Parts: sequence; C-alpha cells; structure tokens
Amino acid sequence: MKNLILIILLFSFSSVFAQPNCEAYKYYGDTLKYEACKKAMETKGNYQFSREYQTILDESLTIDPTFDYAYWAKSIAYLKSGDFVTWKKLIDKTVEYKPKEHLGYRGWCRYQFFRDYKGAIEDIEKLDSLVDYDIGQSQNGTYHLNIAKGLCYKGIGEKEKAIKIIETQIKLNEEEDFVGTYDYLHLGVLYLEMERFEKAIEVFKKQSKTNELAENQYYSALTFLKLDKSTEYKSCLEKAKELYIEGRKMSDPYSNPMDKIYLENIENEIKTAYNNGSYEKP
Amino acid sequence: MPKMKKTLIAISFLFSIISSCQSEKKVEEKQEYLRWVGDIEQNDQIDKLDFKVCNGDDKILQYFNLGEGPLYSGEKSTILKTFKSKYKPSVDNSQNGLIRIRFIINCEGKAGRFRVLQSDYDYQEIEFDKRIVSQLVDITKGIENWEICYRSDIPVDYYMYFIFKITDGQLTEILP
Repeated sequence: MKNLILIILLFSFSSVFAQPNCEAYKYYGDTLKYEACKKAMETKGNYQFSREYQTILDESLTIDPTFDYAYWAKSIAYLKSGDFVTWKKLIDKTVEYKPKEHLGYRGWCRYQFFRDYKGAIEDIEKLDSLVDYDIGQSQNGTYHLNIAKGLCYKGIGEKEKAIKIIETQIKLNEEEDFVGTYDYLHLGVLYLEMERFEKAIEVFKKQSKTNELAENQYYSALTFLKLDKSTEYKSCLEKAKELYIEGRKMSDPYSNPMDKIYLENIENEIKTAYNNGSYEKP
Repeated sequence: MPKMKKTLIAISFLFSIISSCQSEKKVEEKQEYLRWVGDIEQNDQIDKLDFKVCNGDDKILQYFNLGEGPLYSGEKSTILKTFKSKYKPSVDNSQNGLIRIRFIINCEGKAGRFRVLQSDYDYQEIEFDKRIVSQLVDITKGIENWEICYRSDIPVDYYMYFIFKITDGQLTEILP
C-alpha cells in the first residue's frame, strides 16, 4: 500500500502537463514547496496572461524560489505572446531545478515558437542522455520528440541525419500503432528533397491512409512530376486543391507547421502545369 | 534595568532595520503588471493618434484566442512574398538573432501600436542595426489589410506579432 502511494506521488511529479500534487511535497516533508504549491493553485480560474495569475505565481515564488512549476506556469503567456527574452529566463529556471521534467518541453517550444533548431536539438539530446525511458511526445502531442528533433536537423540542413532519425522513430511508432499525424508526410518531403522519389511516393501513400492532407497530395504531385508521371501529377494537384478547400491541411493554433503549403502554392503549380501544356482542363 | 532597556531598544532597532530591508527588497522584486502580459498601451509620442481599438483596451484578445491559428489576409504566402520583395538584406553579415514586432489589429483590420523586441540567438537582448529593424517595421506597417476576426459575430481587436529570424544579416524565416 505504501508503495502504491509512493508510485502515485512520484507519478504526480513526473508531468508538466498536469498541475502538481501539492500533497506530495507535504508527504516528502518539503513544507516550503507545499506552501508554494498551495499558493500556486490559487491561480485556478484566472487566465494565464492576467495580472492576477502572474501575481499569485510571484507570491508562490516568494515562498519558494526553487518551485519549478510556478516558473513554468508564468512562462506560458510570454511564450505565446512571442516574448522570447522573458520566456527564456523563466523556462531556464524550470530546467535548472528539474531538468528531466522540463528539457523536452523547452526543446519543443524552441522549435515550435522560435524555430530555434540548434537549441531544440541540444535540449532533446540532453534529455535523452539523462533518462533511460522514452523521452515522449511534444507538448501538443503532434510528434514524438525524436521526430521533432529530426525536423530540427532538417532545419539546420542535415537532411540525411533527419531522415535516419525520423525513419527510426516511425518504425517504433508503427510497432506501437502510434504514428504521428504528420510523420509520413515529413519523411516523404525529405525523400523528395533528397531525390529519393520512389521512397517518397511509398510514404506519401502511407500518409494518405492514416491522415490525408492537401500537403500530402501536393508533394506527391511534385514527386510524380520528377518521375515523369504527368497523369498522377495532375490528379494529385487537383486532389490537393480539393482537400485544401475542405480544410484538410496542416495546422497549428500558434504557428505554421514545417512543410505546410498554401492555396497559392497549389494554384501556382496548376498554372505552371497549364503553361507547360502538360495539363488538360478537367 | 536601564541596561536591559537599552538592550531591548537596540534589539528592536535591529529588527526594524532587518524588516525594513526585507520589505524594501520585496517592493523591488514586485513586478507591476498590466491587465495581460504583453499589453501595449497607447503612447501618443510614437503611436498614430488615428488608430483606435473598437472594443476598448480591456477587451483586446490574442490571435490564438480565436482558435484558427495565425491569420493573414491572403494567407501567410502573401506576407512571405511581401517581405521577400521589399526587404533589402543587411550588408553587415554579423547581424544574428530574433526580432519580434508586435501590434494590435483592430476590428476594421487595421494595425497599430507597433513594438519591437530584439535578441541574439541566445535570447539575450541586443540592438540590431537600425537599418534592419526600421525596414522590418516599415514593411509591417505598410501591410494595409489584416484579417478581421470575429467572436460571436462581433468583430474583435487582437494582438498579433511577427518574429523575424536574421542570420548573417539575411532574413531567413518569418514566424508564426
């Protein structure tokens, strides 16, 4: 029974997604953190951006300036408003006090909000070196952190390395039947960029089966063009446009995901196809 | 007895010094917040007087409060094209880091109250070459039409920003 309580308490510390379990601090005799935690819980019902929310967390940090959760909670509004200077100061504190809990999150945000590829790679690799368990998903659940790391390697131009990382993680994801919503698409785009066209088509087809997207058809079209398959090229462009208009496209509430395209890209490609005479009006 | 009294006075004096130091420290640490983190107040010295928010400063939202991600009139591709055609890269290739320009878009799709934040790639505040910053501000201010966003069919005011990544003086990425 005692072990069970211990497990529950330990688990309650392990995630930055949830609010901390203040009782756990009490159980371990850390009364200062317990008090800081209780104070921080008073933020409930206040908006992350609000004066009230920030002030309560300041009070929590006055009680215990090493309380990582309060820094994390404070940092969110700065992250979302693009204040990278203040955000970084706050989030660094969380990593200082609890690296294993916050490195993955900081790395992911560096990628998602600031396209800080190098910084994100450093954080994710550091986390990987510190733990012997799976490093888990990005905060929004879109990617396994290794896929995000692969995208960051692509961001700094190391595309072959990106391919290897993403291939490996997709295999693991497939084993657990937990492939990310954009995983195959990103890998396909990388293959296309490295002129491995057959491989690209192979994974774009997988993406179609799991989560069809305008982007998937658009990049399929570009790949078919390279393979001189004009019928497929044209039909994929049409499908891309259709899907885009239906709203089946890449999206993120805060940013524009890597490899995202816009309606203009599809229409320009269709125009090019017309001008080259390889396109008959449907 | 007088000796004890003296000691007591001395102790209470010491305590008062200690406590006053503490309260001073607390005051120093206490941060003044506006309604929301990142709120931009009208500054008549630098902001256009004819820019008005429609629903009052206390009702300005964030772009992501509307649940559709970052919105641009004509999608982001239009913004990318605008900056690509208008931005002249710096000759000083030692310029590196992030520049955020944040502003308000009102219920009529007009933008105002532009503010700039700059850092190097280690997130330390720096000042970029003015020619880079002023170009980015001018191009941003030159965008005439922004997406009008609605909440419960009422057009709202909201905060929006661009983050520009500058690498070796070149504009390499525009976020979000």
